Amino acid sequence: MSTARIQQLKTDLFAAPREISLERALLYTESYQQTEGEPTIIRRAKATANVLDQVAIAIRKNELIAGNRTVKPRAGIVSPEMDPYWIAEELDTIHRRPQDNFKISPEDKKIYREQLLAYWQDRSMKDFINGRIPEEIKQASAQKIFSINQTDKGQGHIIIDYQRLLTRGLRKLIDELDTLAATQPENHFFQAVAILLKASARHIGRYEALARHEAQQQELLGKFNRAHELQRIADISAKIAFEAPQNFYEACQLFWYMNIILQYESNASSLSLGRFDQYMLPFYQASLDTGESKESLQELLESLWIKMNDIVLLRSTNSAKFFAGFPTGYTILLGGLNKTGHSAVNPLSSVCLEAYQSVRLPQPNLGVRVNELIDRPFLQKAAETIRMGTGIPQIFNDEVVVPAFLNRGVSLEDARDYSVVGCVELSIPGKTYGLHDIAMFNLLKVMELVLKRNKSNPQVSYEGLVAEIEADIRKYVELMVKGANICDIGHRDWAPVPLLSSFISDCIENAKDITEGGSRYNFSGVQGIGIANLSDSLYALRQYVFEEKRMAYTDFIAMLESNFEKPDGDKVRARLINRYSKYGNDVDEVDMIGTDLLGLFCKEVETYDNPRGGSFTPGSYTVSAHVPLGEVVGATPDGRYAGEQLADGGLSPMLGQDQLGPTAVLKSVSKLDNYLLSNGSLLNAKFSPGTLQGQQGINKLCDFLHAFMKLKIQHIQFNVLNSETLKKAQENPEDYAGLVVRVAGYSAFFVELSREIQDDIIRRTSHEL
Amino acid sequence: MNCESSQIISSTLMGQSSQLEKRGRIFNIQRYSLNDGQGIRTVVFFKGCPLSCPWCSNPESRAFDVQLVKKQSRCIHCRECVLDRHDLSMDDKIEECPSGALEYLGKDMTVQEVLEEVEKDSVFYRTSGGGVTLSGGEVMAQAEFAIALAKELRTFGYPIAIETTGQCHLRHLLSIGKLCDEVLYDFKIMEAKRAKAVTGIDLSRVLSNFTALLEAGIKVIPRLPLIPGQTTDVLNVTRVLAFLEPFDIQEIHLLPFHQYGAGKYDNLNMAYAYSDVPTPSSDEIAAIKRWVESEGYRVVIGG
Repeated sequence: MSTARIQQLKTDLFAAPREISLERALLYTESYQQTEGEPTIIRRAKATANVLDQVAIAIRKNELIAGNRTVKPRAGIVSPEMDPYWIAEELDTIHRRPQDNFKISPEDKKIYREQLLAYWQDRSMKDFINGRIPEEIKQASAQKIFSINQTDKGQGHIIIDYQRLLTRGLRKLIDELDTLAATQPENHFFQAVAILLKASARHIGRYEALARHEAQQQELLGKFNRAHELQRIADISAKIAFEAPQNFYEACQLFWYMNIILQYESNASSLSLGRFDQYMLPFYQASLDTGESKESLQELLESLWIKMNDIVLLRSTNSAKFFAGFPTGYTILLGGLNKTGHSAVNPLSSVCLEAYQSVRLPQPNLGVRVNELIDRPFLQKAAETIRMGTGIPQIFNDEVVVPAFLNRGVSLEDARDYSVVGCVELSIPGKTYGLHDIAMFNLLKVMELVLKRNKSNPQVSYEGLVAEIEADIRKYVELMVKGANICDIGHRDWAPVPLLSSFISDCIENAKDITEGGSRYNFSGVQGIGIANLSDSLYALRQYVFEEKRMAYTDFIAMLESNFEKPDGDKVRARLINRYSKYGNDVDEVDMIGTDLLGLFCKEVETYDNPRGGSFTPGSYTVSAHVPLGEVVGATPDGRYAGEQLADGGLSPMLGQDQLGPTAVLKSVSKLDNYLLSNGSLLNAKFSPGTLQGQQGINKLCDFLHAFMKLKIQHIQFNVLNSETLKKAQENPEDYAGLVVRVAGYSAFFVELSREIQDDIIRRTSHEL
Repeated sequence: MNCESSQIISSTLMGQSSQLEKRGRIFNIQRYSLNDGQGIRTVVFFKGCPLSCPWCSNPESRAFDVQLVKKQSRCIHCRECVLDRHDLSMDDKIEECPSGALEYLGKDMTVQEVLEEVEKDSVFYRTSGGGVTLSGGEVMAQAEFAIALAKELRTFGYPIAIETTGQCHLRHLLSIGKLCDEVLYDFKIMEAKRAKAVTGIDLSRVLSNFTALLEAGIKVIPRLPLIPGQTTDVLNVTRVLAFLEPFDIQEIHLLPFHQYGAGKYDNLNMAYAYSDVPTPSSDEIAAIKRWVESEGYRVVIGG
């Protein structure tokens, strides 16, 4: 149970509606206007330094960890230097858009148009990228075959080397960079890093001054406890502005300041946190050793967890559809393996889960790395947290991820050190600039175009269609890669991130920014989406049209184009949905279609290189993108209506189509070559709470996870059904057709029970949670 | 990749083809079952039962015949139902029903076919200590098939459990009992005349078969369905406990009555005598649990 302070911090976070703050953009622009003619990387460093020196700062009521990106909680900040246009277009609607809305005042709208848009128009990164993208890529993108991401904001999707920051401290880093800058005066990168490291120390110094000032005020008010706390924040800030931290409080504070500072520099999603339990352990242990109580350390940790929900990313309406609900990407993976391949679970791993159980907010997005060596008590703790039903922690499988990285040329030690950026994108912390979210490829859209193109082809055959789909995947992957590489260069030329780069190996040794290829590992990650619907569709098409010859191909396509509105359309659709096996039920004939086509996509993707000397890597996940990617695809042979969502997750079966329970789902997913998906994949599994009851339920979930490890699936996330989801199942039985009620010696599908019995189960379920 | 299971089975078991070709009537094979023995299991439900317990939650398990059923929840109400088409055979009608609402309950499967199906989840059995549970209906009403299946399962090394009412020949029960890791054995009404009248069960046979299993050193877990007005009264529970007293039994499963079977009676056009009977409250269940525990047993609710 969390303390009163934690409860209050949590409540305050959501007390007021979200607003847009123009402050960072104005300060950034102010500096940029004064540095015309200087190299871009220096201009960017000076602009960020100007923000760090001038931006209004605040310490929130009763908080223990200082550092806020905006004075008001959860404000969105704009970065017109990347793309000034989308926000200009949405100024009048952003307060009432359906997903992730923000308030903005009329005065700010005016300022935005007159000062920010006026300056950045024709000067932004977006202008550069748009100017370079050739017509054929624009066309494919307009047809929604693929989308190129991060053309309007920072790349993010990276984990810095926290150990470098925490064990060395800012002074040593500043000295090192000063020396490098002095000995290599022609290198702008070193100069830029030095500017920003010094500005970082000054920024922390501003918090020291603010904390001292507020401490005095509190003392005058007679609030001595709070005055003491603020004094402590001031003392810690004074120290870590230059020195390396020596205990958990100091380490958490420096950790958080640097996260805020990096946000100002990039304004990007997913400056992720890596293996927090590993690099923080020495500090946690040091605090325990000096007699601090476990409870006080947990309160600090919970404070930190809350702060991670204070940063939200302002996305365009379109982007917010793909990444709904602020997946800010403060992702952490716990446990896993150490450099020598032994279990890396430590006491802090469990404490991190306990802090989550208490705070229960979406950030940090905790995950647990599992492997055959995992300690049972820690696995049980993960299972208990899963049982709470919030989808956290997600689970990653070392048994497949480590070899997947070896296959990409990553060293064994580095592969064992992997973590996750964003949602599920696999990355080597502190050593990778992976553009993990640079593009999404809609495999189902490719199929739709091929099917329609052959509508009047008298020689049409199943094999011919598949061959054409394969050829189109190749063709569009090539275009997507071209587009991604243009975006890559756009970031290199317009948006270097020197401070971030200084914490990524081997940028200092290579004397280059990450955007120029300074990092040790340089991937570009692209997602193949829609494999479940593609497998289901091709299987149903083959059976219905080519094997059983129930309808001529031309008529079948006309039926799809009519969205099943022709005579007997409902019967045709019912048969397509119900009478042909679907991915997710452990049926080889269907599953292997996906294995072949996703495999082809992966093999094609990995042949391409990016401008940083790295290669492209395939992944398969959606966050909320299965909804907008479904919106652009017409009716498909799996019985899906036009515009209906695709299967969620990335590798999950289509909604309602997994009829045999979670073991069969895992078996289907295991037939895909999951080693190839080295950019990450996502599987959502649905569990009813009844299956997780008691110690026995926890152990069975642990055993289930051991089977998951053996099946070499990368990722799984559990949605524990609650009374709300079951009510949805009552309203939309089609979507929940596979939901089985499991009682000893009995079996039935939930949707086939009478309304009264369903209601009874719903009552029991809400009771169980 | 896990798609070679069938080849493995047929090549390793050549020469035993007659056993593998034995046929039984199955109405469901349910994967990821957690309440029918240790670990993660697959339950093979046998069709047909000599008893007629009026509270049965699997009414489709009772008849030995394959039955035709129209599942209302799946039906999309076509203008012309395939059932009304006289030009079609029953098999064709089922094939032509677009929604799959029309289906046969019960399917004849060979031992080999059942093995292929249960082998699909073998990785889950291995990590959880689970395996295969034979259930019904009454498994032992198809004793020969059940024994052949259990023998083959044994060779895979999975733990096997069987759920039975003990209403069968002792010879069969002993031979399958020896092949199984545990026998989940139902006790119901403990008064012979009423037991016969309500469920059709021969109580003395159930009790003597139980005794014989224990004497043969087979692990048996007694299970008591908690049926209001039938099995939960003080006298009945006392009788169960008194009967078990002399045996070396550690664990008892209590299976609370539930109404999840109600909709199935409608689909089958069968009368359901227990439609208005309330399920036992959690207090009632807890009271019986405490009582049984006070007699020194470990109690599992729901199995």
